[in-house]
Amino acid sequence: MSAVSVSTRSLGKDVRAPRDAAAPWRHVDVFLVAITMSLAGMGLLLIYSATQHKENVGDISATGYLKRQALWTAIGIVVMVVTAILDYRLLRDLAPVLYVGTVLVLVAVLSPLGTNTRGAQAWFQFGSFQLQPSEYAKLVFILCLASYCAAHRGDLDFRRLVTVLAVASVPVALIYRQPDLGTDLVFIAILMAMLLVAGARPRHIAVLTLLGVIGVVAVFQLGVLKQYQIDRLGAFLDPKGDTQRSAYNLNQSVNAIAAGGLTGKGLLNGRETNLSYVPEQQTDFIFTVVGEEFGLAGATTLLALFALLVWRTWRAAALARDLLGTLLCVGVLAMVVFQVFENVGMTMGIMPIIGIPLPFLSYGGSSTIASFAGVGLVLNVHMRRFA
Amino acid sequence: MREPVSPDSSRLRLGVLGVVVLSLFSALLVRLWYLQVMASDQYQAVSTNSVRLVTTEAPRGRILDRNGVELVRNRISDVITVDRNDLPMRPDVKSRLAFILGISSDELQRRIESKRYSVYKPVPIARDVPKEKLIYVREHASEFPGVANTRLTEREYTQGELAAHVLGYTAEINSDELAARKRLRRGYKPGDTIGKTGVELSFENDLRGQPGIEELEVDAAGRVLRTLNSRPPVPGHDVRLTIDINVQRMVETALAEGLAAARQGQDRQYKKHFLAPAGAAVVLDPRDGSVLAMASNPTYNPSIYVDGSLAEFKRLQDPALHAPLNDRATEGLYAPGSTFKLVTSIAALSKGLISPNTTVDDKGSIKIGNQIFRNAGSAPHGRVRLDRALTVSSDVYFYSLGEKFWNARGRYGETAIQDTAHDLGLGEGIGRVPDPEIRKRLHDSNPKAFPNGGWFPGDNANLAIGQGEMAITPLQLGNAYATFANGGTLWAPRLGTEIIDADGTKVRDVAPRAIRHLDLPPTLRNPILAGLMGAVSDPKGTAHGAFIGFPYDRMPLAGKTGTAEVTNKQDTALFTAFGPATNPQFEVTVLLEEAGFGADAAAPVVRRICDGLIGEPLKPIARAGGAD
Repeated sequence: MSAVSVSTRSLGKDVRAPRDAAAPWRHVDVFLVAITMSLAGMGLLLIYSATQHKENVGDISATGYLKRQALWTAIGIVVMVVTAILDYRLLRDLAPVLYVGTVLVLVAVLSPLGTNTRGAQAWFQFGSFQLQPSEYAKLVFILCLASYCAAHRGDLDFRRLVTVLAVASVPVALIYRQPDLGTDLVFIAILMAMLLVAGARPRHIAVLTLLGVIGVVAVFQLGVLKQYQIDRLGAFLDPKGDTQRSAYNLNQSVNAIAAGGLTGKGLLNGRETNLSYVPEQQTDFIFTVVGEEFGLAGATTLLALFALLVWRTWRAAALARDLLGTLLCVGVLAMVVFQVFENVGMTMGIMPIIGIPLPFLSYGGSSTIASFAGVGLVLNVHMRRFA
Repeated sequence: MREPVSPDSSRLRLGVLGVVVLSLFSALLVRLWYLQVMASDQYQAVSTNSVRLVTTEAPRGRILDRNGVELVRNRISDVITVDRNDLPMRPDVKSRLAFILGISSDELQRRIESKRYSVYKPVPIARDVPKEKLIYVREHASEFPGVANTRLTEREYTQGELAAHVLGYTAEINSDELAARKRLRRGYKPGDTIGKTGVELSFENDLRGQPGIEELEVDAAGRVLRTLNSRPPVPGHDVRLTIDINVQRMVETALAEGLAAARQGQDRQYKKHFLAPAGAAVVLDPRDGSVLAMASNPTYNPSIYVDGSLAEFKRLQDPALHAPLNDRATEGLYAPGSTFKLVTSIAALSKGLISPNTTVDDKGSIKIGNQIFRNAGSAPHGRVRLDRALTVSSDVYFYSLGEKFWNARGRYGETAIQDTAHDLGLGEGIGRVPDPEIRKRLHDSNPKAFPNGGWFPGDNANLAIGQGEMAITPLQLGNAYATFANGGTLWAPRLGTEIIDADGTKVRDVAPRAIRHLDLPPTLRNPILAGLMGAVSDPKGTAHGAFIGFPYDRMPLAGKTGTAEVTNKQDTALFTAFGPATNPQFEVTVLLEEAGFGADAAAPVVRRICDGLIGEPLKPIARAGGAD
């Protein structure tokens, strides 16, 4: 497909615009924006359903979750707009600075400046708000990888590949120290997808994949994982085998989704949801609320929204005017797809339980804002495809 | 516009990425379809974990005497309860509550954690709370979150210690009972109350009622959200007994006085007073096996099991109290002594070993094998027939019957006497009214009373006078005499007459149950009856001394004394009698442990009970004279 035909198809919409047909604001992907807003709206609804029955716990009241998520959604929209407006080619020039800055922040969070919550040293505490730098680091990571690979015009020989891996390994190692295995896996998914599209040799990709498999086995054999991590994976492999917390999570989650049936129990009517049977429901297990209260119809709709979002992202990657734009979109796509697949798969028992938020839906500021920023990047690339 | 480097390759690679993404989404959709459509039902069944069943025990039925007098009823008790879900967070509430109730915080904690109550229901922590404390807690409700008051029913034994062993007591079900009831699918669960002994046990199924069931929806933290379904408890049925509480009172008093009188007597053999630590008395209606009264002494107050202190429980185990929990009337096994001669007589006459006119010359002793057997005090009774032998209780006469039976065992079998004992219900499990399911055969309970490797004629002679290894319960003995008295019908002793529901409507009768009928023709019955009547009324009769002045014209009595020798103990005193002799309406059996001759110690107690039964003025019990 040539660039001409692409522009012709896009021009179909903008045919009545006589002046500056290439102006970025004329090519905003309104469809992608609509999808994103739908997902965020659904997220607010589900978080309300998952938390409205809770009694006041600490300083968070029953509607506190909803209010905070609404605030973060608003901030996220602003961040999305800002990310989209700044030309991504300018961002490319900022990549080295952002990379160093991010690494420093990730070091800082491991220091006493950071806060340890539920066993992971992954947050900065500001008053009653928490900031999780690893969420934002994903976007910087995408930007840096895309800048480097695009600079070499898609020709990644062994030496450049090693350079990419070295650049990637620093934030991955820092996040592993927190420890936050889930976010690390997102980084690796982003890395693999971008290497694939950036032109890494097929045999390099094959070797990396092989190394990945060996790495997973080694991690198990060498006792690198914490016991709770092994328990979670074990619960995934044999959900009825133990009565521990991990298997309990999984069983309750699967039960809640199965309870939804075709059409679900109706909003706020999910019994498992209302009775707090699913732990961490407003965050990592938010998908169970859709599953139980809206059934197959609702869950399929949600997945379809994600699929549309991914399709628009993939389309932006394909339409991008340069490899940098393509790779930025691929990075965001890999991030969203991996998080959706891992998170939803985990709640349905086909993926191990690893704490990864569902973009736009899970309760949490950093995750929500970072997801909006990712969409902002895609919008950025898409609307500048002629400029 | 695109950078010139390998655009085709880039496109291909994007395509690969797209395929990967598509397959991942497909996997999610397939799984979603499987969970929510294919396997939904299967998971629905599993996910009922948010519903809990809470059962509430039904009020037990009452126990009434034959005239409808309440013997056991339910008392309303004001109870303070604690919601376990609230209190763990409030130590200040706990200490306030402990102070109000006058108990220590540890004690309060122990009561809160009692496993007896469901975690989904408030736990009773104090019973019989005085009104002013209840009002205080209610008026200061804000200081006592999770604390409430309610009313519970408790067992109340209106007669105190009276008929304690007959009524029995209730307590928390134990694991063995639970296992047994599980098999019967009776719906018991740990912590339930169950009848442990007596009528509380034997009529458990009638008294218990049906527990109420509430289906509660519970959240993950165990908080009750709402009631989905509930079935109120159905109160248990009342049981009306054959016991006449007035007769029971009279019998228990007579027994206690008889024991006290026995302790005044001097034991010539051991050169000290009789210990007379315990005894039993049974009054039966021979016409249908109804138990009019049944007493065991020493006794206890069943209310100890409702609200007794630990000290009171410990006291029950004190050896000086001689095991008051034991029901000697139904469970105490004793050598019957001469009272067993009824069995030997029936055996000898019915099997044709002797005729009523067969005589034996009683010189006071008899040599069997190379062993000499003596009468009590070696007193000679001369040439005696069966009736006379019973009246004067000639041991020699019955020793000789035992020897004859053994010598003629080729004809009558080795166990002629034991067989008759069994026919009369001895060892039939009859002694165990509270638990009709246990059927204990004579041989199983007294295996040594049967011919074994070392059985000699002397053993048979001892058996014939109720010594040796033969052992019976007082209730069995009374029932055997009642069987003879009524012409041969062996009734299962009966404690209940009818079952009534909570509205007062009769549910069913507890019908008398005849176990078997023995053929007792006049040629057999008359000589024995004459002998038994003589024992009471003949001046030479063993029990004559105890019955001087008794109105025989109004109430002809027949009875038999017994004095059983017990290794290393003083003699057991027995007396059993029925009247009117020819058309009996009652049978009275009294047994006193370590109290000497039956004629001395037991017969006066029976006399006193008979006086009471026929409305004679009651006189103090004193030891009577006479041997055996």
